[in-house]
Amino acid sequence: MTDFLNLILEPLQEVFAKFRTFMPNLLAMLVILSMGILAARVLRAVLVRFLMAIKFDSWSDRMGVTTLLRKGDLWAKPSLALGAIFFWSLIILVLMTGLSALKVHAIDQLVEQFFLYLPRVFSAVLILIIGYVFAGFVSRAVLIAAVNSGYHYAKLLAEALRLLLTILILAMVLEQLQVAPGIVLAAFSIVFGGIVIALAISFGVAGIDAAKRMIERETAEKHAKDTKDDIEHL
Amino acid sequence: MSDFYQTGIITTLHKLGTPSLERLEAEIREFSKKRPVALVLPALYSEFEGPAMQGIVRKLAKVNYLKEIVLVLDKASEKDFHRVREFMSPIATEVKIVHNDGKRITEIYETLARNGLDVGQRGKGRSAWLAYGYVLARGQSDVIALHDCDIVNYSRELLARLCYPVANPNLNYVFCKGFYSRVTNKMYGRVTRLLVTPLIRSMQQLIGQHGFLMFLDSFRYPLSGEFCMVTDLARVNRIPWDWGLEVGSLAEVYRNFSPRRVCQVDIAETYEHKHQPLSADDAGKGLMKMTIDICKSIFRTLASEGVVFSEGLFKSLSVSYLRTAEDAIMKYEADAAINGLEFDRHSEAQAVEAFTRAISQASQVFMENPMGTPLIPNWNRVTSAIPGILEMLKKAADEDNK
Amino acid sequence: MKTVAFRKDVQEQLERIQQADIVVGIPSFNNARTIGHVVRAIQAGIAKYFPDRKCVLVNSDGGSVDDTLEIVRRTSIEDYASIHLHHRVEPMFKIATPYSGIPGKGSAFRTIFEVAEALDAKVCVVVDSDLRSITPEWIELLVKPVLEDGYDYAAPLYHRHKYDGTITNSIVYPLTRALYGKRVRQPIGGDFGFSGKLAKFYLTKDVWQTDVARFGIDIWMTTTAIANRYKVTQSFLGAKIHDAKDPSADLSAMLYQVVGATFELMETYDDIWKPVRGSEPVTTFGFEYTVGLEQVNVNTGRMLNIFREGLKNLSKIWTDILGAGDFGEVERLGALQDRNFRFPPGLWTRVIYDYAITFHKKKLPKEHLIKSLTPLYLGRTASFIMEVEQMGQEEVEGEIEKLCTEFEYNKEYLVTSWK
Repeated sequence: MTDFLNLILEPLQEVFAKFRTFMPNLLAMLVILSMGILAARVLRAVLVRFLMAIKFDSWSDRMGVTTLLRKGDLWAKPSLALGAIFFWSLIILVLMTGLSALKVHAIDQLVEQFFLYLPRVFSAVLILIIGYVFAGFVSRAVLIAAVNSGYHYAKLLAEALRLLLTILILAMVLEQLQVAPGIVLAAFSIVFGGIVIALAISFGVAGIDAAKRMIERETAEKHAKDTKDDIEHL
Repeated sequence: MSDFYQTGIITTLHKLGTPSLERLEAEIREFSKKRPVALVLPALYSEFEGPAMQGIVRKLAKVNYLKEIVLVLDKASEKDFHRVREFMSPIATEVKIVHNDGKRITEIYETLARNGLDVGQRGKGRSAWLAYGYVLARGQSDVIALHDCDIVNYSRELLARLCYPVANPNLNYVFCKGFYSRVTNKMYGRVTRLLVTPLIRSMQQLIGQHGFLMFLDSFRYPLSGEFCMVTDLARVNRIPWDWGLEVGSLAEVYRNFSPRRVCQVDIAETYEHKHQPLSADDAGKGLMKMTIDICKSIFRTLASEGVVFSEGLFKSLSVSYLRTAEDAIMKYEADAAINGLEFDRHSEAQAVEAFTRAISQASQVFMENPMGTPLIPNWNRVTSAIPGILEMLKKAADEDNK
Repeated sequence: MKTVAFRKDVQEQLERIQQADIVVGIPSFNNARTIGHVVRAIQAGIAKYFPDRKCVLVNSDGGSVDDTLEIVRRTSIEDYASIHLHHRVEPMFKIATPYSGIPGKGSAFRTIFEVAEALDAKVCVVVDSDLRSITPEWIELLVKPVLEDGYDYAAPLYHRHKYDGTITNSIVYPLTRALYGKRVRQPIGGDFGFSGKLAKFYLTKDVWQTDVARFGIDIWMTTTAIANRYKVTQSFLGAKIHDAKDPSADLSAMLYQVVGATFELMETYDDIWKPVRGSEPVTTFGFEYTVGLEQVNVNTGRMLNIFREGLKNLSKIWTDILGAGDFGEVERLGALQDRNFRFPPGLWTRVIYDYAITFHKKKLPKEHLIKSLTPLYLGRTASFIMEVEQMGQEEVEGEIEKLCTEFEYNKEYLVTSWK
């Protein structure tokens, strides 16, 4: 009879023992989570108070940052929005740390990969921002230079250039994030190559007339320019 | 039926003969192709539960020359907002409702406040001003017409006559004020009859000829809430957000444009709308506040034009006003008598007494703080302070209306 | 603050000469065709009007590859003290050729100032090296007000063809006049006389590494003199005829250099120009006579085409700078026929002020901002040319006067928006 009892009790004891070893980890995770959430709340409040003190909202109104938020149908105050982003980033961090306290190997691996991935996200965001500014700068420079030389299709040229640069930037960002790198590379090559080939074909074959007109227009203008304008601007 | 006498220094457009509404509307429709017209309606939700709004909506549904209608809804909850959208749905013209109490528009007001731009308290002035901003943001209309939402005997003719002078590119008016006779079985319009006109006339007696006073005096009904203007004025004009709104707007028009480009138009045979209770004692309520705000507005404009105000002037003003107002009562009594209208001399006299008190209160407030009259900054100033504000406003209203 | 060490031979020369009353500086770069005439005119002028004064001629060359240096050396008479210098030119300037064709004109001037300081000169004069119309009288007119009449700065006053000098006539003169309250008619003339005191003051300013010193030295000199309350006058010199223009000179680069420098100076001196209202005339030396001027051909059609292209392609940029109201007015101009095209002076004033404000607020990169002004400038120029087609010299000055009044009248707008 005792043997039979033991048969039932042993597995239960095993589970109970396993549970006992696991309990502290679980507790640790819960403690980390709750303290983390508290800390995140406090830090958010501090950040928001700081931003209000330096009149961050007013600054972002004047700089057009608020306008960007509103375009995305986000109607929170800029300082609160920043606070929220900050808060949720901290929460993710806290979550990751908490999960690692469980000391479950599979989760540990996940957490490690997450933290290894983080730098890529930062550099991707950096590339995006710098790329966006750069594309805007270059396309605007081309636009103004083309307009000032009297080129009729200035805006088209500038927008085309901006599009090409944007595609380049996006491809670089996706490559950084290692999102299906093989596919991105292939897609990028196809799109870029395609655009180049399309331009070549259109100018060489299908767009002979349009190209001819554009060139004629340019030479005519240059001719007119050469004929008379002796004015001394300075 | 009126005569064709031209009073004062602005143009008066009378109702002569029996003008045809169809012709009027057809002409405006032609004009609106080059100069699109927007209609702005500052409204309280409570007005949708009143008798006037239904009639207005019914009439507007038949109007086909407006580019857009912007209704600014005040004191309304989310549910009220949706009910109003339903209410306005029979109108074919595009209607955008600016929900003042909605989350998005509230955020817009806060954005203005935190950048040091004081747009004043809740009221018709602020609502109208915001509507102008929205019309500017959309950039689709060249003419803005505005009228109240409590007009019980609203008609298409009223709107058409209001819009015509400014919409017509051959007439070259930048601003047009509506006037009408506020008479049913008795004379209404006490504030105009017994305050504004006698006040202006007594000021003219005291300080002599002054362009602004002549300008104000030309208007047959300066407190009318119906007017029409070119959109450019909305950029440049600073309007008061209190009850001095109507007079203050006229002051801005006077400052920025020649009286040759201003006119007034007879828009209705009769006109009925809500009446303000005359609370003789509580300066914050009703007619007293209105009176004080109007006086402050007039004083401020005159001061900015170089008139020197002193204790002595205000004392003389009180006396002169009382005299002029009493004379006015006698004239109105005669007019009422011949036309068989009710006329309560006692309540008219009481009103004049209240107005006298209001004038001295206003003088006091003005002397203490002459600069402290509330003007909303104009849109040019606002957009230079916050470059994206118009885009944000447009987005807010568009999203609310989705 | 002398951070430029003179080369040894120059140093020796300076020590030999020791002191001079008048220093005449000529910056040069490949001006073999004209510089001989310039040097001779200067020498004749000195000999005729200031025979008993000690004068030094300084040629600050930017690395000419033609015969410029030879010609200067040859032309200088032996008993005439002259110094030949190379001013330091960074390699970049040789590639990026500014409008004047002199790389680093600012450095050239600086060198001349330093010579003036080293020699404790009373008066310093600088002239352009490509002048065909310079006469010996120019020397008297630029030196005498400073030397004998107590002025610190003598700006030039030319009679030019009514179509010439449009950047000056439509931007720099009205703007400078409205800002600083002095009616200096040709602030970027290029030929100036100034006192040794002012030269020393110029050297105390640390601008030599900036764009202003590279391309905007002319407007910088004039503005610095006016803003720091030096006594300014102008002298009528007659006609100004350059050597044949370099056809590849890029208009938008010109605008960027000149207008950019002017706007930069607004930043530096904002406390000084903000309270100024109205303007006063400046004493004029010399006898104003009418000059016969050659016919100038213009192609307004082309200018208006560029204006319309600009309107089409740059609408977003212009709306950001000018605001919807003023941009609307500009848009309406685009619909006008060539013959009827008129750019109202009031609108032009607000355009320039809006650009100055946007420059101040740094909303756009400087080069993009000012180069985007080019089509507007061409529109205004074409309109001006058509308006004054039938007018005589005096009437044209009247039109320019009207524009200046608009600038002064609208200054409130500039001041209030300049936060």
